[in-house]
Amino acid sequence: MVLGVQVAGVLFGIFMMYYTFLKYKKKEFSSSEYLCWMVLWVAFVLVSLFPNWLDPLVKSLNFVRTFDFLVIIGFLFIIGMTFYTYTIVNKNKKQVEEIVRTLAMKGKK
Amino acid sequence: MVAPSVWAIIPAHNEASRIKSVLLCTKKFVSNIVVVDDGSQDNTAQVSGKYALVLKHAINLGKGAALKTGCDFAVAHGASVIVVLDADAQHKPEDIPRFLKELKGADIVFGCRGLNKKMPLILRFGNWFITSLTSLLYHVDIPDTQTGFRAFTSSAYKKIRWDASDYSMESEMIARVGKQKLRYKKINIETLYPDRYKGTTVLDGIKIVLNLIWWKLAKG
Repeated sequence: MVLGVQVAGVLFGIFMMYYTFLKYKKKEFSSSEYLCWMVLWVAFVLVSLFPNWLDPLVKSLNFVRTFDFLVIIGFLFIIGMTFYTYTIVNKNKKQVEEIVRTLAMKGKK
Repeated sequence: MVAPSVWAIIPAHNEASRIKSVLLCTKKFVSNIVVVDDGSQDNTAQVSGKYALVLKHAINLGKGAALKTGCDFAVAHGASVIVVLDADAQHKPEDIPRFLKELKGADIVFGCRGLNKKMPLILRFGNWFITSLTSLLYHVDIPDTQTGFRAFTSSAYKKIRWDASDYSMESEMIARVGKQKLRYKKINIETLYPDRYKGTTVLDGIKIVLNLIWWKLAKG
């Protein structure tokens, strides 16, 4: 029997596949980026439909339920992405500041 | 008029209505005036251009970044002394000669406001707290750490050149003065509030406090 949470997971995965496809068509993603993200979303959909595929891994890591395992993985992913985003934003901020300041001084006096 | 190697740096953001009087008064005391228009959406740059050299940021970066642009420019063009003041007519340019006089025998001179009852209580408390923390962490005894009216030598600027692009730069400057053990003096200045109190907000204050602790732990 398919649970509601599985349906939500599948719908989310399909929506993200569509969104990734749009980004690729708008040439915002390269082919390799597109492929990487699509593999991730397909894996997400498959794991949503067949969570028992993860049983060997879940048991070896001593998680009681597959759901617990996915929640922990989700948190770790979010923390990692937040840190990654922070470093990128910080780097971009410094670069923008440098460009704006250099342009302001360029050609004066 | 003072020596040509003295430069005044005035960061400005949407100050078209007030900056003219500041520039006219500053011109009486300093011949080299640089206004850094920090992405203003009004005609601050056009108004300032009649009285000073204008460096224009294409987008708003913050006071720290604007001042750094102006100071870098001044140092690159031979400034030996830099005076920084606000564009909103809070500070009286008539005080500039006092700053320059005190700078003899010091690396930096801080302007300090007296107790102002027009300032909201929360901001007065914030200023007191930041000042106390600065004194505790960096052993720099200044009764008002958030006033932007200051004068320093170009050699001191190279040692205190800040990273902060926002209002934290006022505190970072003091932190660096403390860490570099620079000679500092303070003078009392009168601060005018032509409009409502503007500048550092409560959120800025929280960020400054966190930064003060961070700089103490992180910077050499």
